[in-house]
Amino acid sequence: MIVLIILLIPFITGLLLLLVRNAVAVKRAALASSVVNFLLTFSLVFTVPVSGYTANWINFLGVEFALGYDGISLVMLLLTGLLFPFIIMTGMKRDQPQVSLLYALILFTQAALIGVFLAQNAFLFYVFWELTLIPLYFILLLWGGECRRNVTFKFFIYTLTGSLFLLFGIIFLYHLTPGMHTTDFSVFSKLNIPAGTQVWLFWVLFIAFAIKMPVFPFHTWQPSTYTIAPTQGVMILAGVMTKMGIYGALRFLFPIIPLGVVYWQNTVIILSLIGVIYASVIAFRQTNIIRLIAFSSMAHISLMVAAMFVLNYYALQGLLFQVLSHGVTIVALFYIVMLIEEKTATLQLPQMGGIKLQAPNMAILFLMVVLGSVALPLTAGFVGEFLIITGLFHQSIWFALFGGITMILGAIYMLYAYQRVMLGDKKPALGTITDLSRHDYFLLIPLITIIFGLGIYPQPVFDLVEASVKSMQDLLLPLAGSLPALPQ
Amino acid sequence: MSAIIVTTVLGIIILYLGLTKNKTILAPAAIAGLLVTLFLSAKEWGSGIGYYHNMVIFDNFSIAFNVSMITITILIFLFGIDYYKRMEFHVAEQYSLMIFALVGAFLMTSFSNLIMLFLGIEILSIPLYVLAGGKKFSFKSNEASFKYFMLGSFATAVFLFGIALVYGASATFYLPEIKTYIAQFHGDLPPMLLVGLLFIVIGVSFKVAVAPFHFWSPDVYEGSPTLVTAFMATVVKTAGFAAFYRLLGMGLLPLPVPLEKALWVMTGLSLLIGNLVALRQGNFKRLLAYSSIAHTGFIMLAMLSQHSTSASVILYYTFVYSLATVPLFIIFILVKRASNGLDQLSAFQGLYKKAPWLAVFMTILLMSMAGIPPTAGFMAKYQVFVLSISQGFLAISIFAILMAVVGIYYYFNVVREVFTDRDHLQDLVITRINAGLIIVCGIAVVAMGIFAWNLPI
Repeated sequence: MIVLIILLIPFITGLLLLLVRNAVAVKRAALASSVVNFLLTFSLVFTVPVSGYTANWINFLGVEFALGYDGISLVMLLLTGLLFPFIIMTGMKRDQPQVSLLYALILFTQAALIGVFLAQNAFLFYVFWELTLIPLYFILLLWGGECRRNVTFKFFIYTLTGSLFLLFGIIFLYHLTPGMHTTDFSVFSKLNIPAGTQVWLFWVLFIAFAIKMPVFPFHTWQPSTYTIAPTQGVMILAGVMTKMGIYGALRFLFPIIPLGVVYWQNTVIILSLIGVIYASVIAFRQTNIIRLIAFSSMAHISLMVAAMFVLNYYALQGLLFQVLSHGVTIVALFYIVMLIEEKTATLQLPQMGGIKLQAPNMAILFLMVVLGSVALPLTAGFVGEFLIITGLFHQSIWFALFGGITMILGAIYMLYAYQRVMLGDKKPALGTITDLSRHDYFLLIPLITIIFGLGIYPQPVFDLVEASVKSMQDLLLPLAGSLPALPQ
Repeated sequence: MSAIIVTTVLGIIILYLGLTKNKTILAPAAIAGLLVTLFLSAKEWGSGIGYYHNMVIFDNFSIAFNVSMITITILIFLFGIDYYKRMEFHVAEQYSLMIFALVGAFLMTSFSNLIMLFLGIEILSIPLYVLAGGKKFSFKSNEASFKYFMLGSFATAVFLFGIALVYGASATFYLPEIKTYIAQFHGDLPPMLLVGLLFIVIGVSFKVAVAPFHFWSPDVYEGSPTLVTAFMATVVKTAGFAAFYRLLGMGLLPLPVPLEKALWVMTGLSLLIGNLVALRQGNFKRLLAYSSIAHTGFIMLAMLSQHSTSASVILYYTFVYSLATVPLFIIFILVKRASNGLDQLSAFQGLYKKAPWLAVFMTILLMSMAGIPPTAGFMAKYQVFVLSISQGFLAISIFAILMAVVGIYYYFNVVREVFTDRDHLQDLVITRINAGLIIVCGIAVVAMGIFAWNLPI
């Protein structure tokens, strides 16, 4: 029952917000709802046994309204619950047009995301998967920057194309189920699909997730979309939506078509590693700081995809840890970028410089976030990426080597960008720059605490996902052959 | 049967009411009459009575489609209250012609004899030829009427010829008897019968605008008065598909191989031409015309999947499609009036600024047309794909999915226009009835998506 409440809170609050005219009240209500939602989600960690909710829905199509979760979905739910209060707080002290609609749409997105992570059958998953796109589309279309009409359009069509293939895959699987057809994940995972079918079905299913994440070469929508998106939109996109792609792949590919996964394993890893190198190199050449972060995010996500496909214990642990760590870091990064843009009225690196002279506190916090992003030891990013590289190493030393390059390249371009923005002489064109306000601390300090907290003591997250990772490992162990044994 | 009688009488009564020169009573009278028909039709559910030596049979299939068409006609008449306000003369004739067309539609859903199908198609078509030319002084309207009439009569001739050939071979007009006759050849049909069947199928295809027999539809849609276009796109289409399905289901299944091949080609072509040409349309009515050809392709896919639930899926699809199409035409007319008769997509610019709620409902309706959850359009397409994949038509299903993406592209092109800033819709006037219609249809489209149904027909 509690999962139903978690799903409905943002949705109902969103509907109510549409009736409220007072901007401050709207934002406060949205924040309150997201905080309550987070607390409820957090309580799921301690809820034994797992609470679920099932109701009849469309009987003649064998579809139930079934909600539930396991360790993997719980990580995703926690991430969503954790990030949305910050995403909403981002707009707290700022003037925004059409506030009630904006926050209603943000909460609708949240509800749809939660639905994706809670869905227990593929049909419900698909409906929520598509529903995330609609409010986000309007957030980008109505509050976006220059050229938003064409960019959002491209983003929309791009992701929907992938989704429709997923739909085909779901219906195909639906017809393979024995007896009265159904789309339950639990039934799907017991199908024993012939290997030849799995091999082509893999791409039908994977393409939707590959576009969302995005994996090279399906990434072309991403940089332009990030650039035009309003800060809150890009936080949702980079912080949570990309994880939705990862979640979908974990939910669909590994349990349902394990042979297909093993068959294409190396292809996908190589594609992701190409993505890692490619994104890092391009990030290095960017002069627009948002595009830089977009490509850096792509590099990190690509590494996570590679980790997903090496199919071993370390890499999966690292992946799920990195899901949390990347989400928190990227939201903090985009918040600081927004601050910089507000204070300097530019996003171009060559026009910035010497901001530290006038805003030392901002420089320090920015540095902490950057360090988290480049995976310095004692930050959450390090734990995740270290495990991922270990996992890659077990597959092939070359994979580990190329994967490891992200950390080096990441450090180079992020620190170089930091240097160009914050250090050096102040550019005369920049006016006086004010330092952080109290509101900014409220937002940044908790995020940075999480980044370092998880870096110093990561165990709780591992405990949380242990069971799910093990079950996934058990499933894939006989298939992948030379996997390392579980540490006892 | 009582539905047919009541509707015919209603048409005549409306015609006489026109003599009173009081326009305001026409629509309410017509709607009241249709409500009676609706009730009478629904009452016969489950009885399955045949009339005239079983030449027409009112089984559940025909009743379900009749009820759906009557509902849509009521919606269109409600729209007519505002639409015909500016028209001085011959308003009664417009209403009664549509009612007569509806009688033809009833016959098309319930025939079991080819002669009845022919009568139904003619009773449906002849009023439409007149209605298409409803704007007497508009060049385009005249063109539409003339084109529709010429091509329509040509198709009818082909259709009649087909009936004659089939009769020549099988010596019967009754579909069940034709079915037994076909069955004895075990798929190897004599040429005369095959050509006859093909001609019959072509005749019906013309009515529902399946490619490559679609050339009339964009011009006719564009030139006809918008209300008539809405009627053609919804009621006529539904009737055409009901007839098509009945023809196949009652008489021709399992399909002879050459015929099936021809139908598959037509399905593929409809999907391809409808969607791709729609991409290039700047005129909203032409866009909807081509997109309706594309929808035809999806419905054909459901029909050719030959499953016991096909009929229900077609009913759901056509009803949902009609339910979204009617309000879209209403919004189009409102916008067109406010922008000095501009009928391009750019007419919708600034709609969001002027009337945000209207923009939201327009988006919901377009989402339904494009097939995006949680709208009914999605459930309709989902069911079609479930059907086609269940029968193992994977390649064409993938193709249809790709075409659905193209569909999303041009529908959201319109959404994009709606949300573009511009100030030219200052004198947008929305009457209460129109607003109510749009809202009700929008909510219904979402509700039917969340609570999808199927009927045992």
